[in-house]
Amino acid sequence: MNIFSWQRIAALGLLAVLVVAAVGCGEAASDEPFRIGVMESVTGPGETYGTVAVQSKEMAVAEINAAGGINGRMLELVVEDSKCNAQDAITAYTKLTDVDGVKIILGTSCSGAMLGAAPLAERDGVIMFSGLATNPDIAEAGDYIFRTSLSDATVGVDTGNVLWADGIRRLATISESTDYAEGVRRTTAEHFQSLGGEIVAEERYASDTTDFRTQLEKLLGANPDALHIAAQSEFTGGTIIKQVRELGYDGPIYADVVPIGTTALEIAGDAATGVKAITPDLDPANAKAQEVLANFKDRYDYVTLPWFLGSAYDNVYIAAECLKKTGDDQDADGFRDCMYEITWSGTIGDDYSFDEKGEVVGLSNAVLEVLPTAERTEENGGYKVLGPAPSG
Amino acid sequence: MALSSHAISNLVRRTRDFTERPRFAKGNVELWANLLIISWAAAFMLWQGVGFAITVSTVFAIWAILAVSLNLVVGYTGLLSVGHIGFFGIGAYAMAILSSDASYEQLRTEAIPTFGWPFFAALPISVVLAGLVAVVVGVAFNRFRDDIYVLVSFGFAVIAFNLFLNWRPLTRGAFGIHEIARPEIGGWTLSGPFEFLVLALVFLGIVVLISWFIVTSSFGRVLRAIREDEQAIEVFGYQTAHYKLAIWVISAMMAGLAGALFGSWTSFIDPNSFVLLESILLVSIVILGGLATIWGSILGAMAFVMLEEGMRFLPFLPPEFIGQARQVVLGILLVLLMLFRPQGLVGRFRL
Repeated sequence: MNIFSWQRIAALGLLAVLVVAAVGCGEAASDEPFRIGVMESVTGPGETYGTVAVQSKEMAVAEINAAGGINGRMLELVVEDSKCNAQDAITAYTKLTDVDGVKIILGTSCSGAMLGAAPLAERDGVIMFSGLATNPDIAEAGDYIFRTSLSDATVGVDTGNVLWADGIRRLATISESTDYAEGVRRTTAEHFQSLGGEIVAEERYASDTTDFRTQLEKLLGANPDALHIAAQSEFTGGTIIKQVRELGYDGPIYADVVPIGTTALEIAGDAATGVKAITPDLDPANAKAQEVLANFKDRYDYVTLPWFLGSAYDNVYIAAECLKKTGDDQDADGFRDCMYEITWSGTIGDDYSFDEKGEVVGLSNAVLEVLPTAERTEENGGYKVLGPAPSG
Repeated sequence: MALSSHAISNLVRRTRDFTERPRFAKGNVELWANLLIISWAAAFMLWQGVGFAITVSTVFAIWAILAVSLNLVVGYTGLLSVGHIGFFGIGAYAMAILSSDASYEQLRTEAIPTFGWPFFAALPISVVLAGLVAVVVGVAFNRFRDDIYVLVSFGFAVIAFNLFLNWRPLTRGAFGIHEIARPEIGGWTLSGPFEFLVLALVFLGIVVLISWFIVTSSFGRVLRAIREDEQAIEVFGYQTAHYKLAIWVISAMMAGLAGALFGSWTSFIDPNSFVLLESILLVSIVILGGLATIWGSILGAMAFVMLEEGMRFLPFLPPEFIGQARQVVLGILLVLLMLFRPQGLVGRFRL
């Protein structure tokens, strides 16, 4: 045993303590930039969503700073990866709050990561403001937790209404075993049943499934009026549409946003024509939304998940507005009060605000219908907007 | 079965000539590896701020328990299991279901049975449950060895994950379980991160002590003999199946303990934390630290967690690629380590 080496370690540790103590005495000047955290799942299962969210936020910050910043102060983002799970969300959260000292965090895109870090944020009085997390449980997560994304519950309720209004009475459902897809299925089924409809068959599948024929045969055997697909990966969504049409089913198909994504439509091809999706979507008549999409395309050379992109973009502007009011990026309580009072018109809608649970109000889901293959273009995304989802 | 006297003496030498103790004086590489990791870890943590250091240390403590327990099976006994994360998950889910607050609103959406037990009541049950599952699994696994063992343990990890995901009346499926109890001793809640870290380190200490006791006992010597030559030790009249089952169950119970701690620490779990990839990372930690050395597993867990979290401080990366770049750098570092230290940081054996 080399005692000498242990003494050296102790000396090193002591040195580190002294350095930290010396460094930790800096004082923030008034022309320093506002620093806010960004926590997104840029690796792991939620990678696509997280990456789009980070890029969209970077773009918004670049715009704000180019226009002179917030009251002359620049805005700076500290980006961390939460990897779509609770453990990494917690370490990312402590890194942001403890090391970088931010009090306002924009994110995160994965509900699992959000729910892991939210109790800590609530305990420490740190703002978490997500544009993408949709798990209904987040509504109850606390006073400092906000989101512009619509809860799965609202998607499900609106889907139920659309089904009922279209004269569907017997429904078959197939859903991916993820919290998002399962949440959409559950609330759709509950609301549809409360209206008087009947769920005649339901099937679930794991994310890596490629052949759905057996499950689809079972669903079709129950003779439903319509099929509802809740998917989280575009590959499975597209494949289900393709395979159910191959099995000879010609009734209506309803879905969440994923089965009408670009990749899904490529897989499904003509089989997808006429599929209806109930989802939040950017209003084609909203000039601001179209401008943001065009800018994003210029900057990054691609566009995907337009609504989520817009939602993340709006988050930065809402945060900037509240920072303008409070003038202090350490004032989470002031920021929170500002959030409860604010009414915002941006990319994802006009005049929306937040209720006492931090849930967004004033946004609604739209009903989309997939166009025939010949009419699908990059601009329209392969679908047309039929209008807002009927309420009540 | 014919055993040459040479084989027997070799077996005896390799299983007996072994002390479970860090050997600082022997071999410069080991000394430097130890010094480098510990001093870097200490400086790094203190430099970055106390709260973050506590969080990272808690992650380290949990992963160290897992690594030490897995090393008993992989390193000492030579059974390469990649299914350890399943027991980790069983412990976590047992803790979650037993201790979640039954009146908690979010749990009502998909009702599961919750009991609202305190942490210290749920903990032993979680550990025992992981052990019971391990008995059943272990009896079946005892028929296999070597590469087949890898495959069947792989199967176990996949089955466990799918149970967590699909047994919805019990696990709430993809929604995960909230409001897992924090430890409490006589009305004093260990809710602060520091108190929890102390608790986790205490449990790590207990696990290390038990493991040390096992590997230095005659029981441990039989385990090492099984790794070197299972048939030879059977010739001496040892029922190797019993020994393999025993160490498998003990190791699984330790993993269950780590899982219970993990569930309580995050207070929210979902199946994403128990995917096969985490199991592979765990095996990497064990190999990185060194097979058949407890100290190595602790060091390996420390190095791994430090590398992973240290990556957060690479300053030159554009934010869009920050996550991916970290994974790549981490991968390269692991490859380099394996190239230059195939026996691990302080280990003496290769896989």
